[in-house]
Amino acid sequence: MPKITIPLGPQHPALKEPENFMLVLEGERIDKASINLGYNHRGIEKACEERTYIQDIYLLERVCGICSHSHTSCFVGCVEEIAKVEIPERAQALRILMGELERAHSHLLWLGVAAHEIGFDTLFMYTWRDREHVLDCLELISGNRIHYAMNIIGGVRKDINAKQKNEILKRMDILEERTNYYVKLITQEPTILARTQNVGLLPTQEALKRNAVGPTLRASNVKSDVRKDDPYLMYDKLDFKVITADSCDVFGRVFVRVFELIESYKIIRQIINYLPTGAIAVKVPWKIPEGAAVGRYEAPRGEDIHYVKANDSIKPERVKVRAPTLANFASVRYMLEGGYLADVPIVIAAIDPCMSCTDRSLVLDGEKTSSYSWNDLRLMGIEFYKKKGIDFSKVKI
Amino acid sequence: MSLLQEEKIKSELEKKFSLDILGFEIQRERRIWLEVKKEKAVEIMAYMKNKLDFNHISAISGMDMGDNLGAIYHLVQTGIVANIVVETPLSNPRLDTITEIFMGAEYYERELEDMYGIKINGLPNGRRYPLSEDFPKDQYPLRKNWDQKKFEASAKACSYEEAEKNSGDEEKI
Repeated sequence: MPKITIPLGPQHPALKEPENFMLVLEGERIDKASINLGYNHRGIEKACEERTYIQDIYLLERVCGICSHSHTSCFVGCVEEIAKVEIPERAQALRILMGELERAHSHLLWLGVAAHEIGFDTLFMYTWRDREHVLDCLELISGNRIHYAMNIIGGVRKDINAKQKNEILKRMDILEERTNYYVKLITQEPTILARTQNVGLLPTQEALKRNAVGPTLRASNVKSDVRKDDPYLMYDKLDFKVITADSCDVFGRVFVRVFELIESYKIIRQIINYLPTGAIAVKVPWKIPEGAAVGRYEAPRGEDIHYVKANDSIKPERVKVRAPTLANFASVRYMLEGGYLADVPIVIAAIDPCMSCTDRSLVLDGEKTSSYSWNDLRLMGIEFYKKKGIDFSKVKI
Repeated sequence: MSLLQEEKIKSELEKKFSLDILGFEIQRERRIWLEVKKEKAVEIMAYMKNKLDFNHISAISGMDMGDNLGAIYHLVQTGIVANIVVETPLSNPRLDTITEIFMGAEYYERELEDMYGIKINGLPNGRRYPLSEDFPKDQYPLRKNWDQKKFEASAKACSYEEAEKNSGDEEKI
């Protein structure tokens, strides 16, 4: 049978973000796959060098919409290490609280997306409804649903009170009950098992060889978690398990994430019940002394690493961000090859890819750069349709 | 706080590569920094992977140090991060690939090529990352002397044919 090459993406049904896969097919089987990235490059690392540390926190938060707290925690941790600042225990606990809520929200979102990719939209609706509970908790604490902006250099921005604590605990009970239902669902539902077992295989040796990270690596039966191996904040004082799966397939990745949800709830309860007292932040001078630091953080998708170099000024000399998704792409190629075309969306989705994390840059063309107001855009739309013979200008909004 | 493991790594490496390690620092527990000669970098990293269990590469950070360009390889051994600094002159920036030791390093090396213009010897052909194919080949945005405004005023995107050639899609598959 002759081989044919088809492009999947950059705009494609599997993901809402742009990336391109070139697949060489032999019938329905994938013979070879190559990945092209870079459609989302926004120049954040360069932009960080031109801004102050405080501005960088808000910029790095926008590296990713989902792991926004992960990136800032990692960056702020590096800066505090260079400035030799010890942040108060309460601030550490609150950072963990946000981090774990974020993990819960990310994993619930992912479970829905994965279900959607295999055509199980009921589960998608369920998990996204439940995710609202987590988002409500985040909003309750920080005032925002997604970009919480909780981290400042030296601590966190907001404290929580007894009323908020009770509300979060109440929501945790609901979520735990729901998650137990999902555990039952993913381990017993025949359609989920049929679509995930023995799909996208990544044996332990291959995962290690390809330097995979996070749930992808743990689903290949490697006990690796930055929270345990390289504890930051006060993770070494908390009681939680590292979840692994030995099936090394998509099912394993679903399994790991669902059980990690339960571990996250456990951590959140511990933090709320034993929240240290004291200040939530210390003052840190704007000028950060010379030095360099490497910070690692277990983001929902895996190990996130930041390298920050300071040069005794208010702006960093260099900020390097390596988001977890980039580390997992070498494995995706292996997972796709030999599999079926119909499994491509779920295999790609199984690493929980986040392209905006991975690429981070945009080159603005100086001459063409202009900004549009909502009204301008509307007028442009009206002009566009006028050329096609439809006149929307009379329509009132 | 004990630095036993870190000290052990230090003594093993200094015993084996006494002349090639230009600097060694234990910054704190689980963070070590070493500066090595660029000719020996690959050999040292292979030794660290095979003998000292540094079997994960987290990232490679490029750096502009003025006269030199640098790369920092962040290798990980369950928890301990070894940051290996390698420098190469700005006039002819070249480093050897480590993809044979760490398969996952491919994208990190492409990033060095694109953003800093460090030529990586032995890196397999492939599409650029992270810049687009029509981005001029002689512009390296993360170098300190690169100015976005100047670039926009002077640079032109390369032609469609050239971009097509740069993408390397057809040959690869």
